[in-house]
Formats: sequence, C-alpha cells, structure tokens
Amino acid sequence: MKGAPRVLHVAWNDLRIMVGDKVFLFWTLVFPMLFIVLFGLLYKSSDSAPAVAELTVVNLDQGRWGAYFLDKVKSPAVDLKIVGSEPAEYNRLIVLPPDFSAKIEAKRGQTLALKKREGASTQAAARVETRLYQAIARMLSELILYGEGDLSKFLDRHAEFRDIVQVKSGFPEKTVTVVPSGFDHSIPGTTVQFIMMMVIIYGGITVMEDRKTGVLARMLFSPLTKGQVFRAKLLGRWMMGLVQALILIVVGKIFFKLNLGNTPLSLLVIAVFAMAMAALSVFIGSLCTKEDMIIGLAVLLANIFAGLGGCWWPSEIVPRGVRQVAMISPAYWAMDALHKLRFFQGGFRDILPNLGVLAGLAVLLGFVSARFFKVRD
Amino acid sequence: MRRLFLVLGSDVRRHLKSPLAIVIFMAIPMVMTALIGIIFAPKAEQTTLPPIPVVLVDHDKSIASRLVLGAFDADQLKKMFEVTVADEAEGRRRMEKGRASAILIVPEKFTLDLLDGKTTTLTVVKNPAEQFLPDVVEEFVATMAVMLSGAIQAFEAEAKGIRVLLDSPVDLIPWETLGPEFGKAQKKVVAASKYLNPLLIGIKAEETRAPGAKPRFTRRDLFSIMLPGMAVMFLLFIVQTLMRDIISERGDGKLRRMMTTPLRPMELVGARLLGGWVMGLVVLLVMVAVGTLIFGAYWGNFGYFLLLGAAVSFWTAAFFGLFGALVRNRNQAGAFSAPIILAFSLFGGSMMNPEAMPKAFRAIGVATPNRWFIDGAALVRDGRFPLVPLLILLASGLVLAALAAPALRRRISV
Repeated sequence: MKGAPRVLHVAWNDLRIMVGDKVFLFWTLVFPMLFIVLFGLLYKSSDSAPAVAELTVVNLDQGRWGAYFLDKVKSPAVDLKIVGSEPAEYNRLIVLPPDFSAKIEAKRGQTLALKKREGASTQAAARVETRLYQAIARMLSELILYGEGDLSKFLDRHAEFRDIVQVKSGFPEKTVTVVPSGFDHSIPGTTVQFIMMMVIIYGGITVMEDRKTGVLARMLFSPLTKGQVFRAKLLGRWMMGLVQALILIVVGKIFFKLNLGNTPLSLLVIAVFAMAMAALSVFIGSLCTKEDMIIGLAVLLANIFAGLGGCWWPSEIVPRGVRQVAMISPAYWAMDALHKLRFFQGGFRDILPNLGVLAGLAVLLGFVSARFFKVRD
Repeated sequence: MRRLFLVLGSDVRRHLKSPLAIVIFMAIPMVMTALIGIIFAPKAEQTTLPPIPVVLVDHDKSIASRLVLGAFDADQLKKMFEVTVADEAEGRRRMEKGRASAILIVPEKFTLDLLDGKTTTLTVVKNPAEQFLPDVVEEFVATMAVMLSGAIQAFEAEAKGIRVLLDSPVDLIPWETLGPEFGKAQKKVVAASKYLNPLLIGIKAEETRAPGAKPRFTRRDLFSIMLPGMAVMFLLFIVQTLMRDIISERGDGKLRRMMTTPLRPMELVGARLLGGWVMGLVVLLVMVAVGTLIFGAYWGNFGYFLLLGAAVSFWTAAFFGLFGALVRNRNQAGAFSAPIILAFSLFGGSMMNPEAMPKAFRAIGVATPNRWFIDGAALVRDGRFPLVPLLILLASGLVLAALAAPALRRRISV
C-alpha cells in the first residue's frame, strides 16, 4: 500500500488532536458512564419487581377453610401479610369473606376480588395471581378426590395434593449460567450509541472545519493525494470509535464486571460498526456547512438508531412491526451480534450475517462519502 | 431602542434564511416522542406486551402433550402466546434470532407417566437475552402443571384404566367390564362439575387507585408528559445556536465593524439576549403546536404555560449569553455547549422520568432548567399555577442576565 504510512500519520494526528481536546473525557467517559449507570440500574430493577411479591390478606372467614386456602397460597415467592381490615396502603389485596368456609362446605361458587393497585409492579401482581390460581387448582383437586363425603370433616382427613407434574426451568446449554446483570445490557447499548454520537459529531465537525479553514486543501501540497486524505480522515474517525469503545469496555470490565462473551469477537463487531459510522461522519462532514447542523443530525440519527436498535430497552417489549423497522438501524445489527456473543456464547459463524450487513454498510457509506468528499467548499 | 430592534429584526431574518439546523433540532423531540410513544404508550387492549413466542418441543407426541398444546390455544391465551411446535435445535435457532422467548419441552413418555401417577417434569428453557417474557411463560407452565397434577390425582383410577387400554391389543380388552368403570368415572365427572361449574372459588382481578393517586395514563397522557422534557432539551440546543452569533461575530471581526456604527454595546447585548429569548419562545410554541397537532398532547392553561415557556426561554437566553461571554472562541463554545445541554437534560429529567432515576441524579437535577420546566409543565397540566418553578426560573434567569450583560458588553467592547 503506497502512501499507507502517510495516511496512518494523518489519521494518528487526528486521533491525537481529539484525545487532547478538553471535552474528550466528557464524551468518551463521563457522559457514557452516566448513561451506563442509569440504564444499568433500570435494567436491574426492571419493572421494580421485588424478589418476593407481597399479598395483603384480610381473612374474615369464620371457618377453617380460609386458613387452609392461605396455606396453599404460601410460597417463597409470595409474602402473605395478614391484616384485620382493608388498609389504605397496599399493593395487592384479597379479602376472604366471613362465609368463605360456609360456601365451600355448601358447594356454592364464590368469587374473590383481587385488588391490584395501579402503578404497583405488574410482574409481582402476575406472580401473586398465578399463585392464587395454583392454590385454587390444588384445593379443587383435593375436593374432587375427596368425593361426596361430608366436607365439614374434609380438613381432618383428606388426601394431600401431589405435584405429579413438575416444572424445571433454566437457560439453554452452552449459554449463560447466571442471569445477566443490568450492566451487561446497558454497557454494550451505551457503547454502540456513543460511538454513533461521538464519531458523527466529532468526526463530522472536524472534517467540515478542516475543509472550511483550508486545512484539507493545504494537505494536498504535501505528498498526499485527495484519495489518501480521504482515507486518512476515514481511518482517524474509525480509530476514534475504537478508542471510545475500548475505554468503555475496560471501565465496564473493571467496575461493573462486564461480560461480553467472546471479547475479541465483540471488538470485531464494534470495529466494523465503528467503520460504518466513520464513513457516515465523513459523509455528513462533507455535506454540511454548519456545525449545528452536524450536531443536530448526529443527535437525531444516533437517537433514532439507538432507540430502534435496542440500545435503550430490551427488544422483547418492542412491537413486532417496530422490530422489523429496526433492521434499518446499524445499531440493531451490532446489538444483535453482541447479544449472540454474550447471551448465546456465539462464535464467528453466528455473527457472520451481522458482520456482513455492517461491513456492507461500511463499504456503501465509504463509497458514498468518498464520492462526496471535497477539500474545498 | 430603535437600533436594538433593528439588530433583532436583522437577526431574525438571517436565521429564517437558513433555518435547517433549527428545523432539525425541532424535529428531534417529535421523532423521539413518536418512537417512545409507539413502544411504550398504553394500548387499548388489555395486554400491553406483544404475543410471547414459545416453541413447544413434543417428545411425547401423545394425549397429554396435545392437552398442553391445547392449553395455549384457550381463548384468552391465544392473544398472549404464539406457540410453534418444533424440535430443540429449531427452538434454539429461533431464540437466537429473538423469535422465541422460551422453549417448553414435553418429555418422552409424558402421557404414560401421568397415567401411571409417576412424577414427570416439564422443562422451560428461557431465552437468556430476554428479561421479562420468559418468566411469564414459566409462571403459566407452572399453573398448567398444577392443573394437570390435580386432574390426574382426581381421576387416578380412570387414568390407570386408560393406561391398560393403551397397552393392550384391542382383542384382549375386556369391553364388557368397561361399563361399570365408565359409570364410576361419570360419577366423578358429575361430582367435579359441582366444583368446576360454577367454579367453587374464582378470582376476579380489579385495579384500584390509592386515595389521591392520579388516574392511569393514556397514550395522550404519555405524549403530554414526555414532550415538555424533550422540548426544553432542544430549546437549549436551539437557543445555544442562536446565541453563538456573538462568539462567531467576535471571531470573524463583524462585531468590531458593528461597533464603528452608532450602535452602542449594550444595545447589541440587549438585542442578542432579547433575540435569544423571543426566538426561543417562538420555537417552543411551534414545538407545542406541532406536539398538539401530531400527538394530541395537552398543556393545560395556555396562559400559565406561556408564562412558563417565557421564563424558561429567558433563562436559556441569559445562560447562553453568559456562556458566550465566558468562552474564548467558537470552538470552545462548540466543545462545551453540547455536553452541558446533555448533562442538564440527563439530570433534569428530559431523557427519563425523574421518578425512575437514582436519588443522586434527582438531587443534581434540581440545578437544571429542564427539571423546573418539566415540573412546572406538570403543574400546569394539573390545572395549577406553576408558582415555584416560575419563580426559580425567573430569579435565576435574572441573576444570569445580570451577570451576562456586563460580561458580554466587556467582550464586545474589546
């Protein structure tokens, strides 16, 4: 590669200038860290579902069936809080009426009202509701098994319910062994988002400034050709993205025990993604003539791509249509590859389609940005 | 004063000639609001989650596994789950593509074990990349397991009879003895129906509201809550762009030329601060109008909101006026302004509901205009006068303006 050392020299110089910038630390570390902490804590306490779901019970039953029913509801995941009357504050409340036992013994149907406070954890509410249904199923099975006998004597002697069908849950083989932490979700998302934001803003503005102030034109007086200047600018912006990613990953590993799965492959994904963003930044820098326009475009694109691409929230909660649209976002392909590596212990073959799309995008954007790259206005 | 308005008019005309950057900054909050609204806004239907994709791996291929599959097909559950029967490899492939939240594995001889009353296990393999939906599948399967266990225990004798039938060749089945057995089963079914129809104990879930709590919000509410935060964030960007004129004019010598005219420095400072304030308010009102038209957002008493908007625009113009006086050149302004705005927005609640933020973040947020504008807008929406936010924005804005005016005058005069 003739001229490669010169291209590398200019790119390295761009990187050196960026690292020496006063706000470099803010963009590459401080601001992304705030995002990581905020989103990491949010992921961690998703839906603020407590480990043990609380159920407040008002047991007014005058017989013995109420206590028996509550015994069936008890579980390590459900905390029963028995109170004498309906309190003003609760998350979930069930009232067993005074004639609860009488109705059962008379085989008369009854419906219990489960009151759920708006705004309380929906996950905890679902857990409690499920447990209540399970308790009812257990009791009904015992009653059917008991047959036509006198129900007032049921509690003294009856066949106990057996869990013949049991449920075992876990993760797929060769994936994760422990539930991933909130930071395992938020660090890759924030890294991808900030590579987009920083590379487009910084990279775009410096290309525009260098053109407007004549730096690019002056570079042509050196042995550099226009093509080499373009390659140098592209390489410099790519290195910016890589430096940003490395800083966040190292900090994530040290402070948040970040687990990326296969780290070299994760870096490869980020490298190809950063290349696409570098090309986009040179393209935007070549088109725009105002700094504010570049900042506006960068914020707009980075936020749309990050939101669609799954950098901010788990894609499982996103409507299917939006997930289809998300494929237009480069962040989607990067995040999907990082998920495969982190959560499914994927290998190179698994992320090949993602790498292909990102590399294709990098080539396309590189071609377009080369076509529009200019050294003078 | 006339000269002040001449400068102001000229500034407005100049910015209207190339409004693209401002238009982009105005478009961002709308796009962001639309995106978040599409994903998080409450839907009309009860379920707010998309259907949960489940892969069922049937190693049993008999009556009980079909019952399990049928359970997912019940009326209410059809909307909740989307079940595909496939093998484990396909399940895993789907999981990796995000098209399966869980794999439910029905073991071999599941039906036979059930009929024998032997303990058997359903396995739920959860998608490790997902956080919520696999747990829903697990809870549902646990409930189904209890129901199956109950049914088998209640009809244990009959289950054993079926087991014999399954094992025996047709010609060896003692058909004549089956009559009384069916009779016994019928009695149990009749007895069971007394408990099941109507259900001996049913649950009716209802949502309640704590005394004084606000009603559950709709999609329109969500937009109305989000837009003020987004609008103030990009108001900061826009006013910063407008106020940066002073710095660039100082850099390229325009200011020096302007000072050779009868224009006094304080008139120019006043024109720039007033320009930032008025144009900021206009931009804010345009965002409000677009938000109302596109998203149906509501803002409460317009007079109150206008006052609040005027206060926050004034604060922003004063802040960036002072900022312009403190920075040395355009590059420095560019380098520092975006981080400051983003920090204001992050801590002030423009990017996230302050209630969801850690306490430390919320405490820092009190020092940002975003927080007071968002709080004030919430009060106006509730039909109250935003006295405290208004006072804080005005008082701190006046202090900033009082600091900005002499500082700018000094920089202009140099």
